[in-house]
Amino acid sequence: MAVFDTPEEAFGVLRPVCVQLTKTQTVENVEHLQTQLRAVSDTALQELQQYILFPLRFTLKTPGPKRERLIQSVVECLTFVLSSTCVKEQELLQELFSELSACLYSPNSPKPAAVSEELKLAVIQGLSTLMHSAYGDILLTFYEPSILPRLGFAVSLLLGLAEQEKSRQIKIAALKCLQVLLFQCDCQDHPRPLDELEQKQLGDLFASFLPGISTALTRVITGDFKQGHSIVISSLKIFYKTVGFIMADEQLRRISKVQAKPAVEHKVAELMVHREADWVKNTGDKLTILIKKIIESVSVHPHWKVRLELVELVEALLLKCSQSLVESAGPLLKALVGLVNDESPEVQAQCNKVLKYFADQKVVVGNRAFADILSESLHSLATSLPRLVNYQDDQGKFCTLSLLLGYLKLLGPKVNFVLNSVAHLQRLSKALIQVLELDVADIKIVEERHWNSDDLSASPKTSAAQPWNQIQRRYFRFFTDERIFLLLRQVCQLLGYYGNLYLLVDHFMELYRESVVYRKQAAMIFNELVTGAAGLEVEDLHEKHIKTSPEELREIVTSILEEYISQENWYLVTCIEAEEMGEELMMKQSGLQAITSGAHTSQITSFPAFSKPSPTICSMNSNIWQICIQLEGIGQFAFALGKDFNLLLMSALYPVLEKAGDQTLLISQVATSTMMDICHACGYDSPRHLINQNSDYLVNGISLNLRHLALHPHTPKVLEVMLQNSDASLLPLVADVVQDVLATLDQFYDKRAASFVSVLHALLAALAQWFPDTGHLGQLQEQSLREEGSHLSRGPATLENSTTAEDIEQFLLNYLKEKDVADGNISDFDNGDEEQSVPPKVDENDTHPDVEPALPVQIQIAMDVMERCIHLLSDKNLKIRLKVLDVLDLCVVVLQSHKNQLLPLAHRAWPSLVHRLTNDDPLAVLRAFKVLRTLGGKCGDFLRSRFCKDVLPKLAGSLVTQAPISARAGPVYSHTLAFKLQLAVLQGLGPLCERLDLGEGDLNKVADACVIYLSAKQPMKLQEAARSVFLHLMKVDPDSTWFLLNELYCPVQFTPPHPSLHRVHLQGTTGQQNPYVANVLHLLRELQ
Amino acid sequence: MAATIPPPPPDPQFVLRGTQSAVHALHFCGGAQAEGRPLLFSGSQSGLVHIWSLQTRRAVATLDGHGGQCVTWLQTLPQGHQLLSQGRDLKLCLWDLAEGRNTVMDSVRLESVGFCRSAILAGGQPRWTLAVPGKDSDEVQILEMPSKTSVCTLKPEADAKPGMPMCLELWQANSSPRPLLLVGYEDGSVALWDVSERKVCSRIACHEEPVMGLDFDSQKARGVSGSAGKALAVWSLDGQQALQVS
Repeated sequence: MAVFDTPEEAFGVLRPVCVQLTKTQTVENVEHLQTQLRAVSDTALQELQQYILFPLRFTLKTPGPKRERLIQSVVECLTFVLSSTCVKEQELLQELFSELSACLYSPNSPKPAAVSEELKLAVIQGLSTLMHSAYGDILLTFYEPSILPRLGFAVSLLLGLAEQEKSRQIKIAALKCLQVLLFQCDCQDHPRPLDELEQKQLGDLFASFLPGISTALTRVITGDFKQGHSIVISSLKIFYKTVGFIMADEQLRRISKVQAKPAVEHKVAELMVHREADWVKNTGDKLTILIKKIIESVSVHPHWKVRLELVELVEALLLKCSQSLVESAGPLLKALVGLVNDESPEVQAQCNKVLKYFADQKVVVGNRAFADILSESLHSLATSLPRLVNYQDDQGKFCTLSLLLGYLKLLGPKVNFVLNSVAHLQRLSKALIQVLELDVADIKIVEERHWNSDDLSASPKTSAAQPWNQIQRRYFRFFTDERIFLLLRQVCQLLGYYGNLYLLVDHFMELYRESVVYRKQAAMIFNELVTGAAGLEVEDLHEKHIKTSPEELREIVTSILEEYISQENWYLVTCIEAEEMGEELMMKQSGLQAITSGAHTSQITSFPAFSKPSPTICSMNSNIWQICIQLEGIGQFAFALGKDFNLLLMSALYPVLEKAGDQTLLISQVATSTMMDICHACGYDSPRHLINQNSDYLVNGISLNLRHLALHPHTPKVLEVMLQNSDASLLPLVADVVQDVLATLDQFYDKRAASFVSVLHALLAALAQWFPDTGHLGQLQEQSLREEGSHLSRGPATLENSTTAEDIEQFLLNYLKEKDVADGNISDFDNGDEEQSVPPKVDENDTHPDVEPALPVQIQIAMDVMERCIHLLSDKNLKIRLKVLDVLDLCVVVLQSHKNQLLPLAHRAWPSLVHRLTNDDPLAVLRAFKVLRTLGGKCGDFLRSRFCKDVLPKLAGSLVTQAPISARAGPVYSHTLAFKLQLAVLQGLGPLCERLDLGEGDLNKVADACVIYLSAKQPMKLQEAARSVFLHLMKVDPDSTWFLLNELYCPVQFTPPHPSLHRVHLQGTTGQQNPYVANVLHLLRELQ
Repeated sequence: MAATIPPPPPDPQFVLRGTQSAVHALHFCGGAQAEGRPLLFSGSQSGLVHIWSLQTRRAVATLDGHGGQCVTWLQTLPQGHQLLSQGRDLKLCLWDLAEGRNTVMDSVRLESVGFCRSAILAGGQPRWTLAVPGKDSDEVQILEMPSKTSVCTLKPEADAKPGMPMCLELWQANSSPRPLLLVGYEDGSVALWDVSERKVCSRIACHEEPVMGLDFDSQKARGVSGSAGKALAVWSLDGQQALQVS
């Protein structure tokens, strides 16, 4: 690249230029020289260094006013030369240094001369380059006491520039240069570390500048945020490097008491500083003031890199100057601690690293002074905490709590020194309780209701490592910032981790018991304490800390849990007693569906006697929150204990399950998620699995609570949920509980029938599902029915086609058989049935070794339940009657294979059932028909004659008498009870006739009663229902139905196949006035 | 008539469910013997022995060794890990329960079809004594275990006619190593036998009906017995080995 490699060649080229410059000093000449220099190699340039520098220095030295532009170009040219060469002579270095500094000297003021910014920048860069180009040895000799005045001038010049210039570029350059001057350059050109003596020498020298540097830098650092973060960062760096160098404990330790006489003139000697103890003390005090200022300003600096630099500052000063700056240690630590929870992850990480380093090195814990400082700080913070959290805004609270958290992290196990002081513990707890106070004015929480039961088979979410992080958002009275809540939780967790857990739990338990006002907060604190104590989320800075042992933790959790689920803390008023009224409203609104599908409506809300007369919304809200927090707590306990929590399930599971069915949406949601947490902690797939595996614990809870039903009105509901979610293996466990339920029902049938009937319904539904009819009997019967049906429905078709003799014979036989049965001659059927029903088919599990075969448990239960149903069928409450009819239906299903047990019971239930059919609400009529249908399928013969005798005449009668009324009625009629009854009877009759396999006479009765309703004059709904009756009749007896319909209206003329046969004439009129046309045609079409 | 209605019975702490048939024998094994994990043994009518952990309150194991016949008596040996069960199948089983095993180590054939439960006297030694109802209806047989060698048979004098032994209690006074046996008889009397001399030391008639159960405190030398007549009798033993109704 270089054209001139040898000094000779270069000299030849440069000489004229240098001469020219010496003669006439113009910008052009300087620039000309610089252009030429570019073509010279570094080695050649080094040889000619002095020669080339001469005209440049000459230009600078020439007295008289000079143009700034010229000076600038000279300085730039100088800088160029210096950047390519080394300064090997001390004198040259000193002279150049002075000459360069002088460029910015203004004789009148201490401030830098008022020159152009470009010149300032050039000079600064020149100085910086000069210091870099000096040989290492020469550089050290440069820093001797005699240089002090000149160095001082340069330092103050640079500080002035850094502080007062507008240009950011100059400021940064000045700071960089200062860094170089003070021997702290971080570039790669200074390989040799200083030895102790050199360090001391430099330290002594720089000590003179310390006041100036530190104050000026502090002013820069604490200046406007707008000046840019890089300036602040550089200033901070120089500050802590300089202070850390001059005040380094290691240097100061070696300073002798007596100042060595420096070999310099008196004037310079006066400037020298001797760093003995007094000086250190004084300087340290003054620095403390500056450091405090810096921390105050920088710790809230908006740019994270600045805060990161502060961490560096703290680290450097604490590591190097822990003795000399002992006064500053407190503020420095506080700054560090405050940054532990910085919003920037980088700062956080660095902070944690530094803290961990301190902890590892025992800088903090081992050094008495530091531990004292921390304890003191925490003491004083604890003292002022209640006041602080009271008046500070969110940002202030955040800082304060960050600080608290940091102290806890740093102190580690030593936090107990503070906790052991009653006064401080009280202050700390008071502050926590105060700041955690919830805002309970939100009315929605009370309002939102939970009706449908959740799907319990859902599997816990896979991302549930920290399950409660999805907790319900809560609102606090004293802050809104979510981060503060996070901090508070961390604080509590750390307390739980390091603190004496017994002490803390005892203390907060007192507060918990002391007042309702504290209870929610104390519960939140318990939850976090336990989580922390388990050490699951705590980042430990103190590795040797011994955690609370699992056994201890379990004991503590057990005691908290007991408190949580005790009567007075768990069963709180969460809704008003007028709820029942609300339910009534609900019922009316949702109409018919609510009765068929709404299991919830039958739940009666009543409260323990101790409930307050009129709870306010706020107090109910508060109660809801308390329950939720405690539920969450149980989830957290499970998380903390893991598999160990299994042992607590026997007491915890029942209450949680109970709350999962709570009417308040929030509570049931939280309880469900608590179940998920438990599943997760104890290794269950789903809540259903959890319930199934622990049904023995639940059954115990249920049976105990049934003994005190007044206090636990929701117990039947829990049993219901459990029955719905279990399998047959549960039955042996609940057998005695069912007996308890029945006994209690007998006792309270007037008050709590509703909830018990629900349980019975769930129980029987479960039984019916668990023990499906294994008996062949029912199947056989149905099969035969189907055969008959299909055969008969084929009847007319075969008649029209080729009718074989066998067919006719079969038909006749069937007909005779039916007739026989219809007449009540059922002996052969009975025989067959009895034979088959004698050995009750029993599950292998239930076979008892007893000699006499006992009835299976489920049969016994079903019998007991059916017994109750007989009485409850006539309950005043329609809802209960409906439910009881459903239960009765299920009883029949369960008992179907045990005729010997079923028939007597059916016999006893009959009168009541007849009453329902003939004299009750339409809904009940329909439901009763359903029962009859089931009964008909299971014990048809028994039922048939009774139905025909007791029920059919009444129903047919009423249908006939009502028909003219409904035919004439207007559109409003469909809203009357009479209409609904008609409809119910018509809808019920059809399936029943089919099921009961009625005889011809009775079928005719039915048909006669219903036929009127096929008239187009009847309301549409009734016509439809009547059609459905006939559709069913067709299945039983298609021929007679066909005949009957044709009697009403005959669409075709029948011509006999042979003229010798009589002509068939059916009565049905063909006139257009016949009101039956539409329906008959419709039905006949079906029959084809 | 100011009849005070008696308060309802207190709530149970917990009801252990799942035996599926009537329970006829219970035995508690706690303290040091259980190594901090207290157990309860229950013997059911269906011949099963359930081992309940009182910590989890669940059955941890089920022993089936009596062929479906009612289990009437359960007793652990002092070393733990070994359980004796007596069943209506006229068998006395010795179970090994160490380290989760549940196998029958040994069994003794009983000759009596009565309802009398057996009794043991065991210290820390490997050898222990077992009292079982004997072959003849009024006999009690003493066996040395685990060798099953018959030590003696205690038969009341011919004229005493106390009927069948109904319940047994083997014990040892602090002062002497001689085993003593308390027997409650069908005729309502309680007799104290000196096993090594094979003679009745003392006998009192304290009930009209058969004695159904008895217990004795060797420290205070006092005992109590209950009869089918729903009566309890408290009695004591004086220095001359004589029983006295107190």
